[in-house]
Amino acid sequence: MTDFIPLSAPELAQYVRQASATGETLGVIGGGTRGLAPKDVSQIVSTSGLSGITFYEPSEMVIGARAGTPLTDVEQALADKGQMLAFEPMDHRPLMATRGQPTIGAVAACNISGPRRVSAGAARDHLIGIEMVNGRGEIIRSGGRVMKNVTGLDLVKLNAGAQGSLGILTEVIFKLMPIREQSLTLCWHGLDEADAIALMGEAMGTPFEIDAAAHIPDYGEEQGARTLLRLEGFAPSCTYRFKQLARLFSHHGQPEKIEGEKARALWRMVANAEPFTSPDFAHVLRVHIAVSKAPRLLEYASGWGVRTLIDWSGGLIWLGLEPDTDIAQWRQQIAALGGHARLVRSSQVPGPAFASPDEKIAGLMSGIKHAFDPAGIFNPGIL
Amino acid sequence: MQTQFAPERLADSQMAESEKILRSCVHCGFCTATCPTYLLEGDELDSPRGRIYLIKDMLENDKPASADVVKHVDRCLSCLSCMTTCPSGVHYMHLVDHARAHIEKTYRRPLADRFIRAVLAAILPYPNRFRAALALGRLGQPLAPVLAKLPGGERLKSMLALVPQKLPRAPKPTQQNLAAAKKGRVALLAGCAQQVLDPEINAATTRLLNRLGIEIADTKDTGCCGALVHHMGKEHQGHVAAKRAIDAWWPEIEAGKLDAIIITASGCGTTIKDYGFMLRDDPDYAHKAKAVSELALDITQYLATLDLPKGEPREEVIAYHSACSMQHGQQIRDEPKNLLKTAGFTVKDVPEGHICCGSAGTYNILQPGFATRLRDRKVKNIERVAPDLIATGNIGCMTQIGTGTDIPIIHTIQVLDWAYGGPKPAALG
Amino acid sequence: MTAIAFAQPDAAILARRDAIVAGLAALVPSDVLITNPDECRAYETDAFTAYRRMPMAVLLPRSTQEVAAIMAFCQEQGVNVVARGAGTSLAGGAIPQEDAVVIGVSRLNRVLEFDRPNRTLKVEAGITNLAVSAAVAPDGFFYAPDPSSQLACTIAGNIAMNSGGAHCLKYGVTTNNVLGATVVLADGSIVELGGDAMDMPGLDLLGLIVGSEGQLGIVTEAILRVLPLAEGARPVLFGFDTSEDAGACVAAIIGAGIVPVAMEFMDKPAIEICEAFAKAGYPLDVGAMLIIEVEGSDDEIDFTLQKIVEIANGHGVKVIKQSRSATETAQIWKGRKSAFGATGRIADYLCMDGTIPTSQLPYVLKRMSEIVAGYGLRVANVFHAGDGNLHPLILFNANDPEELAKAEMAGADILTLCVEVGGCLTGEHGVGIEKRDLMPKQFTREELDQQMRVRAVFDPQWRLNPSKVFPLENRWMPQ
Repeated sequence: MTDFIPLSAPELAQYVRQASATGETLGVIGGGTRGLAPKDVSQIVSTSGLSGITFYEPSEMVIGARAGTPLTDVEQALADKGQMLAFEPMDHRPLMATRGQPTIGAVAACNISGPRRVSAGAARDHLIGIEMVNGRGEIIRSGGRVMKNVTGLDLVKLNAGAQGSLGILTEVIFKLMPIREQSLTLCWHGLDEADAIALMGEAMGTPFEIDAAAHIPDYGEEQGARTLLRLEGFAPSCTYRFKQLARLFSHHGQPEKIEGEKARALWRMVANAEPFTSPDFAHVLRVHIAVSKAPRLLEYASGWGVRTLIDWSGGLIWLGLEPDTDIAQWRQQIAALGGHARLVRSSQVPGPAFASPDEKIAGLMSGIKHAFDPAGIFNPGIL
Repeated sequence: MQTQFAPERLADSQMAESEKILRSCVHCGFCTATCPTYLLEGDELDSPRGRIYLIKDMLENDKPASADVVKHVDRCLSCLSCMTTCPSGVHYMHLVDHARAHIEKTYRRPLADRFIRAVLAAILPYPNRFRAALALGRLGQPLAPVLAKLPGGERLKSMLALVPQKLPRAPKPTQQNLAAAKKGRVALLAGCAQQVLDPEINAATTRLLNRLGIEIADTKDTGCCGALVHHMGKEHQGHVAAKRAIDAWWPEIEAGKLDAIIITASGCGTTIKDYGFMLRDDPDYAHKAKAVSELALDITQYLATLDLPKGEPREEVIAYHSACSMQHGQQIRDEPKNLLKTAGFTVKDVPEGHICCGSAGTYNILQPGFATRLRDRKVKNIERVAPDLIATGNIGCMTQIGTGTDIPIIHTIQVLDWAYGGPKPAALG
Repeated sequence: MTAIAFAQPDAAILARRDAIVAGLAALVPSDVLITNPDECRAYETDAFTAYRRMPMAVLLPRSTQEVAAIMAFCQEQGVNVVARGAGTSLAGGAIPQEDAVVIGVSRLNRVLEFDRPNRTLKVEAGITNLAVSAAVAPDGFFYAPDPSSQLACTIAGNIAMNSGGAHCLKYGVTTNNVLGATVVLADGSIVELGGDAMDMPGLDLLGLIVGSEGQLGIVTEAILRVLPLAEGARPVLFGFDTSEDAGACVAAIIGAGIVPVAMEFMDKPAIEICEAFAKAGYPLDVGAMLIIEVEGSDDEIDFTLQKIVEIANGHGVKVIKQSRSATETAQIWKGRKSAFGATGRIADYLCMDGTIPTSQLPYVLKRMSEIVAGYGLRVANVFHAGDGNLHPLILFNANDPEELAKAEMAGADILTLCVEVGGCLTGEHGVGIEKRDLMPKQFTREELDQQMRVRAVFDPQWRLNPSKVFPLENRWMPQ
């Protein structure tokens, strides 16, 4: 299903110029793991030929890789030097029931994040440089390999999360963090949502550097409800913070201490929204909402008996909805609380991903799209 | 910052000094953040950096002061908060003094303005005139609402508002109970407005110093130190006052009989410590002025050298209000608080303590709008720490803050005198 | 002093000055508008005083609506607008021009709402950076980006320049700490970007606005993330014989997986200048110094410091001095944060802001000294070592036009060097007017055009801060 696999940015640029001249429309595909195969385009470009780490300087905590580089290659190279992408990108494969390899370029283009969203940021916060081909077939670089850079307009941020609507990323540069010496998870059992939200909110306001926080409600399985706080750092520091937090929340009972593979599996489950893999959930909504407004949404959700997962350090709530749910009504409810929802998986055909209710903002977005891609050849359905 | 003075203009020592000050300013803007009037107005023209720019333009181009420049320089409290903040060491005080003198020479103020300034300059520095004026003022207080409607009447009204309901009697402080072993000898600035408004301050100072074995030299009356007129740009009058004070102290200084010149109003302290600079070009007075400045100490600075005994803990919570002339003008911060703590009191800092209360010499009369807003802001901040009393080291702040709160406000030295065996301050009932 | 050109003032606008001023006067209360030349002069420059231009008028509005009304009027009249926060830009970002009005946001300084559970603070954007932290400090929070001018600089200015600071190694820069902004666009319309939830769908317009230097709109309100204050923080001074030793130590610390909350570098001239002002106890007998700050409980701090000390010992550290009290900590940071201003005590300076890959540090430090010496000038170095953001201060005499020219040339050479070694022209101060003409060193023609095409979506007529960021030649405009 791929029409072209460029091996270099200039080759891609040349191809885009031709496509533009002949009125083609282009969809770009990385690993295809998000289940968002480009639709309604005449040509599909795969980044799989743009692969490989271009440079890696552990002492500067920065890595550059071509856009089609499999994420695992990047993560492995980093792990070898004790470093990581701090934003812990979600792996969509379990939820979307897809195969293939997520690519580093798609992580940037879709601004993927994970349970460290609040404590460390999303892909956008770590992406410091890009090379891309725009709709005129020009190679454009923005940002670079240094972490502080305010030279010119920040086209890096614009492209992070643009889902390939402005052009095709050919290289991305990320800043890195060291993998911490220790990772400890505190787990409280059996809290209801209200208590869990209070606990997580309070904990995240303490000085004890909560790395991630999540609440897995009781799904009627053996484990029951679990409220998780993750701590990372030097071992003595983790131990100290563990004690402080256990004492602070002793009224919720003594937390279980979880470490190692068991903890990693738990956080993978949260990051990847694994409680929603079952096809019973016809629609899976990823809801970003202010902490202070979340209780009202959860109350609404519980009224419908909807399955939830609260990834609090991801700044979001997952909702699994039944097939005949009125999605628009949910969106309305969420928007009224100042939040927004992405329909990550659905049996319905989603509308334009970037629709803004504000006409002025919608106008600015389409203006920017035009500024990069005047002929509108890239992923035309998104805006 | 770049300057463009014609070389011949720099022959004037004051101009050369100002040029040097302007050169040291890098226009970083830090000073705006701690300037009271900028906090109120958000206009750079009412900030040190803006005023420096206006002054630079005026002095560089030898322009007579314009009404707009005068407006913004007049709004400056001379609280010198900017000098504490400035990383570049810009001597704003000397620059704004120069600007005020330039304004006085080149600008003709509107009649009402001239009138009130003349009245203030003719009365405030002279205790007898001031006492008489206050008596008249009390008679005039009922007229305040009427006066307020006259041109410039807001100022008359604010002046009357500051007039105390009753004036304390004015006993001349006498020396008594001088401890057997004499430990030191100092001169005490009698001052002007303070001895009328609150003669107890110097009386308490005398009592406490005597008890500690410090003798107070019986010098000639110094009169006003010159600060009041100096801040109005009346340079000559200021110098005359300074010389009179220097003359009063000089015989004792020359004879080597003084350990210090003690000042109990920090506003005066800032000016006296600057005599050396003020009179640097006066062949007869330069060296004397320098000697006086070097001997001048705020009473708390002097007491801090005496190692006062630690007192039993006391229940009173004191909010210490640091006068701008204390913390910015003289850079005295910890001594008064440490003395009060040693005496046994709980001492609390006032939030936003670096911002002026609006008193600033004659400012609360000349700029009543700004002064009242600053006073209200100050009182709100003081009340946040819920003190039993407010201690401060400047009569101007006492009068100003006193009009905005019922919490007793007492001079630090009176509180200390009380703690070390003196009478309880009358304000505490 | 005119090495950097401004756009030629539009004679037609100048000719209509009185009518424009009258129109503005009809729009806003009288104390919002400043038109007297004596008074406007105070707004003719910012902290980049080598360049000055008198604006036509200055406006200090008190609400978003007033800003919008002024913007709409200016758009209709074809008048240029230069936005101003606290005027602390070291790159000339707020310098006006003769045919422009200045819109200052300093009066928009209120805290609007603290959402404690959400850890967000909504403010008017003219509030100072430090006032934001002060507003949430009683609740145990702070606002992380801490530019040295944080006492005075505004959030609006921070957003315009994407300001960083000493502590962004751990906490990120402005763009990582802003969740939402109310922006008045060139035509006077008001848009709300982002919000109190993260990662709004669609193009990241907020990310684009941050760092756009007042060219896309004027930010009047912002929703900021605030973070819990650490239990404690302790800066430690590490003195080395040479800058190379200090630089190698920084690389080794990061290589060991330690990310201190701040790592600041000062060379000998900078140490002397700052110590003279702040009396912070900086060692005066070393060639270079690092201020390394770690956070946490006392035990955590001790543990991390011990690791850092071991590394420093391996790199020939000569002096190690820990802060022992809150007062000492404050003094240590006061010295560092006043570095630029304190330099004013000894000379005028141009402050550079290039960023380099940290592995290039020893080479760049050496080359910078050679470059500056080559012009017969001196340099003092202060910078954020952890992230390679350099602040060489080129010392010169501003009253000597020849020295200014030399200082500017030395600065250009240094920034070119930064780009050559893989870095960039500016890490946190912005391009402004100062580095505008160096932009082609970092970007190709296509890249600059692409940025200008995006700019044009917001301001097709080049009305907002028009003389900044992009070289005056080859400006892209919609057909």
